[in-house]
Amino acid sequence: MTYNSTIQPRSGQKHRPAKRLIRSACVAMISAAAFVVPVVNAADLTLEGKKIGVAVVGTQHFWDREAFNGALDMVKELGGEPVPVDGGRDNQVHADNHDILLSNKVDAVISILGDGAVEPKFEALKNAGIPVFTVDHLSPHGVNNTTSDNYYMGTTIGRYMADAMGGKGKVAVFNAFEGALRICGIRTGLWKYVLQDYPDIEIIQPELAEEFANAPEDARKKTLDLLNQYPPGELDAIHVGCWDQPAIGIVQALEEAGRTDVLVTALDGGPDTLEIMAEENSPFVANVAQQPRLIGQTAAMNAARHFAGESLLPQTFVDVKPVNGPDGAKAVYEELGYGTL
Amino acid sequence: MAVAPAAIFLLLLVYLGVTAPNLLELSTLSLILQQSIPTAIVCMGLASVVMAGGDDVVSGGIDLSIPATAVLAAAIIADQLVNHGSGLAVALMLGMGAALLMGVLNAVLVVTIGMTPLLATLASSVAAVGITKVVTSSRRINVDHPLIVFLRDAQFHGISVAVLLTAMLALIFYVALHRTRWGMHLQAVGGSRDAAEVSGISPKRLMAHSFLIAAVAGALASVFLLARGSGSTPGSEENLLLEMVLATFLGAAFSPRRVVTLWGAVLGAVLVSLLSVGFKSIGVDVFWTGCIKGALILLVVASAAYSNKQRR
Repeated sequence: MTYNSTIQPRSGQKHRPAKRLIRSACVAMISAAAFVVPVVNAADLTLEGKKIGVAVVGTQHFWDREAFNGALDMVKELGGEPVPVDGGRDNQVHADNHDILLSNKVDAVISILGDGAVEPKFEALKNAGIPVFTVDHLSPHGVNNTTSDNYYMGTTIGRYMADAMGGKGKVAVFNAFEGALRICGIRTGLWKYVLQDYPDIEIIQPELAEEFANAPEDARKKTLDLLNQYPPGELDAIHVGCWDQPAIGIVQALEEAGRTDVLVTALDGGPDTLEIMAEENSPFVANVAQQPRLIGQTAAMNAARHFAGESLLPQTFVDVKPVNGPDGAKAVYEELGYGTL
Repeated sequence: MAVAPAAIFLLLLVYLGVTAPNLLELSTLSLILQQSIPTAIVCMGLASVVMAGGDDVVSGGIDLSIPATAVLAAAIIADQLVNHGSGLAVALMLGMGAALLMGVLNAVLVVTIGMTPLLATLASSVAAVGITKVVTSSRRINVDHPLIVFLRDAQFHGISVAVLLTAMLALIFYVALHRTRWGMHLQAVGGSRDAAEVSGISPKRLMAHSFLIAAVAGALASVFLLARGSGSTPGSEENLLLEMVLATFLGAAFSPRRVVTLWGAVLGAVLVSLLSVGFKSIGVDVFWTGCIKGALILLVVASAAYSNKQRR
């Protein structure tokens, strides 16, 4: 056990002070013994007097917005002054925004997502003595990366999809980011790793590539083309390798073409896609839901831990919730506090 | 009306200068220059086309395909370097060659076939975006070639080498367009096609030249795009197009005779970059920034159209 398990959302949780205190103390002792580093009680963390840049690649999608707001809210709650910048779903703009944070002389940067274009910006921040805390972007120039358990996500969605297909058939995959983003490399790579044990499942070549902006509409068009190319009986499933915004367009296309026998699987599980999964006879059968808000909050708390002198592990993993079938979607929807379906 | 864009812009600048105090620091100013580079270079191309084709917003010279051409060239160079193991020379030749072909295509569509530049270059822009997607499969390509890293990071006496190169490029464009006989002819064609023809200049040839120059600007911008993004990113042409049009016509609003000039376009690019950095520094939402830029484009283009009407 490490101190990571003490990370809890500060708002919306039930307070059991005594129990929490004892647990925190235990965890602190264990961590201190294990790592010989000071571990600060979550209640004592502060960002008082600190200007914290929070950069996000875009705020159009639930995931990005939640992680962004989670980080902003936690910075405020810890007494810091957040400096938000939004890339408008453009990776280049997102990368350039880090220059602006540098020239604004912030005390730390929380950077959410981003592709290779941000690396030199992280390096410049590090060289200027500004620590960088990344979300879903493992970087040699960052102090710590907060992310979901991508390994578990990749293997779980592989197993669920293989089961839903009955262990055989043809699957098309939207896979634009396996080579560009490490988190996607892990998720899609492990999905493929699982499929090695299902010799009767064939991944259709060439793989498809979805667009980063306007993903649902782009995926809808590409799915309609795919359906023309593979008539009924020749296509059994469509998987999205790293996220699930394209799945919205895929399901739309399947419904338009009357091909809802084709199964859909994807990753992220925000309320928008869980709602689609919960519909009766939805082709969207499996997902793994993340907790983006908690991820953003955790990144902000990690910044506070860093300033308190704690030495952080390279990565902090936040739990994910596997979603299997419509009932699973309803349960996770409720569990994550999105309401009732 | 003609001074409205300049006045509003100056007011915006004063407002940003007051509310974002670090905007006028040396490090921020150098950041503004660096972020303006690709826009400034494509603006040089657009300025050439507008100068040769006349500044009537609808029927005059315009080339909307320069940003897409630049992104296409960047994609080809990145793809060659990373996925095909080509040397730098081969990659540059192929990427820039493709950009020049786009210029030839535009020249043929407009000069030979007689299409409106606005529509012709819109179409070629869509084509360039399509080819880019085919080349890259819509995927990002990371590039760490020493030359690209050099262009991104290198400094000369504390000034970014990329900024210095862009300044030199602007100087070369300036001399060519404003200080040579050929440049004078080009401007004469833009001023009045008939008068130019009477005095023995071939408007068609010079307009074709201007599209080729625009393509050269796109080709040159591609290398700086690769440096800025540490690789090729599909989709980066959209923002570049918006900034190019805004900067070029904004520059005209600042020029003494309210016409598109080379220095006006470069100044426009720097001002647009300053605006972007300034808005972000004071925490303006990215979508509002988009709205404001869109409104400014409308304002500068409308003002250009209005002063054109007055002149007649």
